[in-house]
Amino acid sequence: MMLRLTTAIAASAVGLAQAAYASTDYPLTLTNCGVDFSVTSPPERTVTVGQSATEILYSLGLADRVNGTSVWFNPVLPQFADANEAIERIANDDPSFEAVVNKRPDLVAVQYEWHVGSTGSVATREQFHELGINTYIMPADCDTKDNSTGGDGTRTAAFSTDSIYKGITELAEIYDVQDAGEALITDLAAREQRAIDLASSLDLPEDLSAAFWFSSTDLGVSPFVAGQLGAPGYMMEKLGIRNVIESDEEWPTVGWESIARADPDVLVIASMDRRRFPADDIEAKREFLRSDPVTREMKAVKNNRIVEMDAHAMSATMRTIYGLETLAESLSNMSFNE
Amino acid sequence: MSIALTRASSAHFGLRWLWITPLVLVTALIAGTAIGETPIPVDTIVKVLANQMIGTDYPVDRIDAGIIWNYRLSRAVVAACCGTSLALAGVVLQALLRNPLADPYLMGISAGASTGAVAVAVAGLGAGALSLSLGAFIGALLSFGIVIMLAHAANSGVGGGRGVQAAGAIILAGIAGSQLFNALTAFIITKSASAEQARGIMFWLMGNLSGVRWADVTLAVPAALFGLLVCLWHRRSLDAFTFGADSAASMGIAVRPVRGMLIVAMALVTAVMVSIVGAIGFVGLVIPHAMRFIVGSRHTRLVPATALAGAVFLIGSDILSRVLVSGQVLPIGVITSLIGAPAFALVLVRGKRS
Amino acid sequence: MRLSAEKLAWSVHGTPLLTDVNLTVDPGQTFGLVGPNGSGKTSLLRLLAGLNKPKAGRVLMDSQPLHTLKQRAIAQSVALVEQQADTTDRITVRQVVSLGRTPFLSALRPWSTEDDAIVAQALRDVDMAHMADRLWHTLSGGERQRVHIARALAQQPKILLLDEPTNHLDIRHQLSILELVRQLPITVVISLHDLNQAMECDRIGVMDGGRLIDSGLPQDVLTANRLEQTFGVHARVIDDPADGKQIMLFRSAI
Repeated sequence: MMLRLTTAIAASAVGLAQAAYASTDYPLTLTNCGVDFSVTSPPERTVTVGQSATEILYSLGLADRVNGTSVWFNPVLPQFADANEAIERIANDDPSFEAVVNKRPDLVAVQYEWHVGSTGSVATREQFHELGINTYIMPADCDTKDNSTGGDGTRTAAFSTDSIYKGITELAEIYDVQDAGEALITDLAAREQRAIDLASSLDLPEDLSAAFWFSSTDLGVSPFVAGQLGAPGYMMEKLGIRNVIESDEEWPTVGWESIARADPDVLVIASMDRRRFPADDIEAKREFLRSDPVTREMKAVKNNRIVEMDAHAMSATMRTIYGLETLAESLSNMSFNE
Repeated sequence: MSIALTRASSAHFGLRWLWITPLVLVTALIAGTAIGETPIPVDTIVKVLANQMIGTDYPVDRIDAGIIWNYRLSRAVVAACCGTSLALAGVVLQALLRNPLADPYLMGISAGASTGAVAVAVAGLGAGALSLSLGAFIGALLSFGIVIMLAHAANSGVGGGRGVQAAGAIILAGIAGSQLFNALTAFIITKSASAEQARGIMFWLMGNLSGVRWADVTLAVPAALFGLLVCLWHRRSLDAFTFGADSAASMGIAVRPVRGMLIVAMALVTAVMVSIVGAIGFVGLVIPHAMRFIVGSRHTRLVPATALAGAVFLIGSDILSRVLVSGQVLPIGVITSLIGAPAFALVLVRGKRS
Repeated sequence: MRLSAEKLAWSVHGTPLLTDVNLTVDPGQTFGLVGPNGSGKTSLLRLLAGLNKPKAGRVLMDSQPLHTLKQRAIAQSVALVEQQADTTDRITVRQVVSLGRTPFLSALRPWSTEDDAIVAQALRDVDMAHMADRLWHTLSGGERQRVHIARALAQQPKILLLDEPTNHLDIRHQLSILELVRQLPITVVISLHDLNQAMECDRIGVMDGGRLIDSGLPQDVLTANRLEQTFGVHARVIDDPADGKQIMLFRSAI
């Protein structure tokens, strides 16, 4: 609904070549992840906790108002590399409360609720609010998710890119750059639609199945695969693919035995810079699939229907849409005649 | 009972076990191969095993064949080796340390293995060159070495190594070592791990046979056999420790070398097992006690009985871990604790009554 | 077998427990070791059994120094009955006594009927044959003591060392054990608290403060003076009218 509305606005704006951009009325009151807060003026200083929040702010042209970043999963999107250079990276992983506060931010933008939630690993939202610092959590992590259960939380409803767009819209409102926000959403929405259209034009088999493999604590051990309701589940649903993993958890561990017997048509494997587990390395993943006596018999492996995707696209971020594009393109290069 | 009767019945007892043992073991292995996360029909299993072992040529789905032969059978064999090794380590430590609570975890082995695994997986030690298993193995031996040094320092010279004091020192050192390494593990996890990493590590730490393949079998089987042979060879020495180290010495046991050699052998074997499957608890504690009730305390019977019971117990626990919750595999350490804790309580209570 | 100690010294954490102990026990003799608590009797017995290496001096069996022998070789000649040795194992009396055969068993020489016979005899010697299948933890202190002695006897030692073996025994068993031990044709060193019982030994030695301050025939060593000086008691030494043997009547502590 949000999608159509903003697309309509953007379309009419382009068509009429007439600026009809909204401007924020302050004080602005919002409910974000169950907490009310109000903003009296556009924040001048920001610290981000989470690459997704960082990249959205950059995409809105707000790099000059970001004073510190933290929690990085892989290199920043290339178009923001220069701008990012100039901004201090407080920590690659979790920052400390004092390090964040030391930057004197007006707003802390957060990707994962568990960093600032009631058991926040950086600090609780109250601790920030006591010091007059606002906190904004990306809706993608709390709107359809219950973060009090499971390791990564459990989705209560399927994720959709609407929560990404909501995050973009709300941040644009907070910073009073609604024109940039709408432009960004238009662009992303268009890309999404193109990918979906491409997939439907491919005339894919009726019951095309797939599984997303993030990583494993050790090669051969049960892998972390995507459940039904997260970003990968969204991608598969949009392109008409069935996820062989039935769990509602974000990243359940399912044995290779079960995956092999389900025998998905396509396997999507994550590429990342992190090297903690042996399976983080995408080459190691490929090698395992090729050499393991059971997985090498899977039809996805035998027919090399393996898609490499940026790991960050598999979590509920702006990059999910790039992931959707990657997946659609890869599908267009595959043949399904056996 | 007259002497003649005792001798006859004990010989009979021994002979019976000669054919019962392989039968029980093979049955357990087949059960471990037949039962798993996904249902596979029995005739498929029989065909696959026949194809692999006696060279028949039945047509079977290649994925099914791979699962049965490469995943499940190797897993069952390693489970048996692991169960045997942990149980025997428990028997040896309980005999040498004169403490019914002694088991491999006492010597800090599993705590060290956890720290090693976590250091590799979470703190990134070794930068991808070190595997989780190798980290666990090194950690296990490191913590064990520290525990031994602690025990030695605490015990040097006092009473000249009197049985009770030496055993007490080792147990206290083991507790101290375990606590130290558990704290290190917690520190690494809280400092560096994301929620996903922490969960992954917790799963591994609680014992996990899902990554086992035939390559692991070539490590596990020799290790388990080595442990078993060492224990059998020293069964009389283990008996001699009944009244303590001094008593053993007065009966001709070279206490220091024998005790040292047995503990090191058991530590190595346990470290190998922990590095393959993670930390599994209660096996070394409960199985020896349960077997003492059935076959008595003499190690000539206790060692082989414990070896067999340990193997069967762990195969059974592994089967349970795969079928209790559908679609999910529970960590095997959870199963052994859920069974082991009440079983141990039962053993204690029954012991009090008789 | 002759047992001798030359200039034995032993200390723990710098505290000397034995200093310059010299003694010789001729083959077949029963040597009684007496002395107040803490005088070093147990330490001496442990050194004689080869459980500890002395800080100075040496122990010899016949003319063979103990430190040149392997533990197993020592155990085939020397058996020790400790003051206290307990277990929580569920083990029968017969199994405990059977442990005494350990120094002789090996892969080439497994358990045989001969071992059964030796165990049975040892049980009879200590009057525990009727309790052979009782579980250890059901026994009284005295019964356990007798089983330990039987275990040492099952070792068929040439030298038997006993550390206060009669402590928990009733008077009947005290006397019968002493009688048994004295009659054995082997060399025996036994530490005792009951000084009248010590009179039955062939020779005795008195320990005080880690030194063997006197040794010889019981009647020569246990004089009223010695009882006062070392044991701290006033006693009257008289002769038994029946056989002329020395009896000590203990009056009061000093």
